[in-house]
Amino acid sequence: MIAVEGVVKRFGAHTVLGGVSLTVAPGEVVTILGSSGSGKSTLIRCINGLETLDGGRVTVDGLDVADPRQLAQARRLSATVFQLFNLYPHMTVLRNITLAPELVLRRPKNEVEAQARALLASVGLAGKADSYPGQLSGGQRQRVGICRALAMNPRYLLLDEVTSALDPEMTAEVLAILARLATQGTTMLFVTHEVEFARRISTRIVFLDQGRLIVDLPTDQFFAADGGLAHPRIRQFLSKMAPSSTVAGAPVSEILA
Amino acid sequence: MPFDLTVLTPHLDTLLAGALLTAGVCALGIAAAFALATALGVLAVGGGWAGRLARLYVDVFRNVPFVVQVFFLFYGLPEVGVYIDAFWTGVLALGLVGGAYGSDVVRSGILAIEPGVVEAAKVGGLSRPAIIRRIVLPIALRTAIRPLGSVFVNLVLSSSILSMITLDEVTGTARGVASETYRPFEVYAFLLAAYAGLTYAVSLGIDALHRRLNRHMADNGAARGAAPGAMEGTA
Repeated sequence: MIAVEGVVKRFGAHTVLGGVSLTVAPGEVVTILGSSGSGKSTLIRCINGLETLDGGRVTVDGLDVADPRQLAQARRLSATVFQLFNLYPHMTVLRNITLAPELVLRRPKNEVEAQARALLASVGLAGKADSYPGQLSGGQRQRVGICRALAMNPRYLLLDEVTSALDPEMTAEVLAILARLATQGTTMLFVTHEVEFARRISTRIVFLDQGRLIVDLPTDQFFAADGGLAHPRIRQFLSKMAPSSTVAGAPVSEILA
Repeated sequence: MPFDLTVLTPHLDTLLAGALLTAGVCALGIAAAFALATALGVLAVGGGWAGRLARLYVDVFRNVPFVVQVFFLFYGLPEVGVYIDAFWTGVLALGLVGGAYGSDVVRSGILAIEPGVVEAAKVGGLSRPAIIRRIVLPIALRTAIRPLGSVFVNLVLSSSILSMITLDEVTGTARGVASETYRPFEVYAFLLAAYAGLTYAVSLGIDALHRRLNRHMADNGAARGAAPGAMEGTA
């Protein structure tokens, strides 16, 4: 379980997270919604140890991420997919995926490569193993980013606005894969602006507003008139969101074809 | 007196030996400079005392004339009981000064790396040494290798100063031959060619390294154009 307890994060005088608590249990798909600057990405970065906490505590299966040794263990349990992909530009697609499993998990090279090729095939990139990131489109790069995360066999998948840098078509490519992962029972913590998609795949939705978590509800209750929608800030947020039904509605096979 | 290279024939062995010695001291000096530049460049990026120390080192060695450093190592150190022969003094001096200049190049290469790439490696659980060796340096050196080449070429040129500490490298040898033959034109023409050849060899080596480090960009001009576009969504 990922447990976030009263986490405070400040950048200078600006408080980005003002005491946020949240849990993600195995099998859940939890979506974090909120406007830009509400602290969504910072929350993810506090969980994977990219930010130091100014208060509170984050544990991943009981491992405290503030402790360097426990963080090293915790990082084997979760994997992150980034908004800007962050692929290693000097390595082939295959090497991008196999590097950490080989070096960190010390798994045999041929086993990791076989898994990497299978993952690439599953996201429609079987022919790209020997390409470099610079030769791929954004959507392809993000699909590699997802493969890289999945090759760690993580218990928790952290997704930080993974479609925000992509055009609608590429967004559809990536969301289709995430939808499939969700149905396969992958535990995910998902920061996104794709509200309709979140509604379809999430078990729970939390809403961050100015560094505070103001709502944490099961998905159907979040969108219920007497649930999350009863909250004026959430109603205001959702009313400004353009419906992305084309993306959310298309089946996996259709998008990847 | 017409230009006549045959006057060098009796001294060719001496001159070539000098050129070979210069090539040797430079090759080792460049290797040392490369290692030191890389280490200092990595340290200088970080905060803390190690970073401050690295930056101090760079400031000190860039602000002292090369000849003074060489004299200090060769004539000064024996006073405190440290004896290094002329050849290894040359290697050491070239390494120390080349490391200082080169580290700034490596440092700027590291600072130009997209932070997210390093974050991805951290989150993947890679250790700090693994991140430096497999992610940071290969990416930093892609852009740093050419300016590093200029530093190395300068080292070859600076090596002529080593004749002042009794090293029989090519410049010192040539001066000897010139005063013996009274044919400075031919002798120094040879010297010009020798340095041009040595620095050209350095350039060729750097070109090969540059191609190797940038091989992922060689076959696709669009790759370079694609990268900045992907950054537009930066939060």
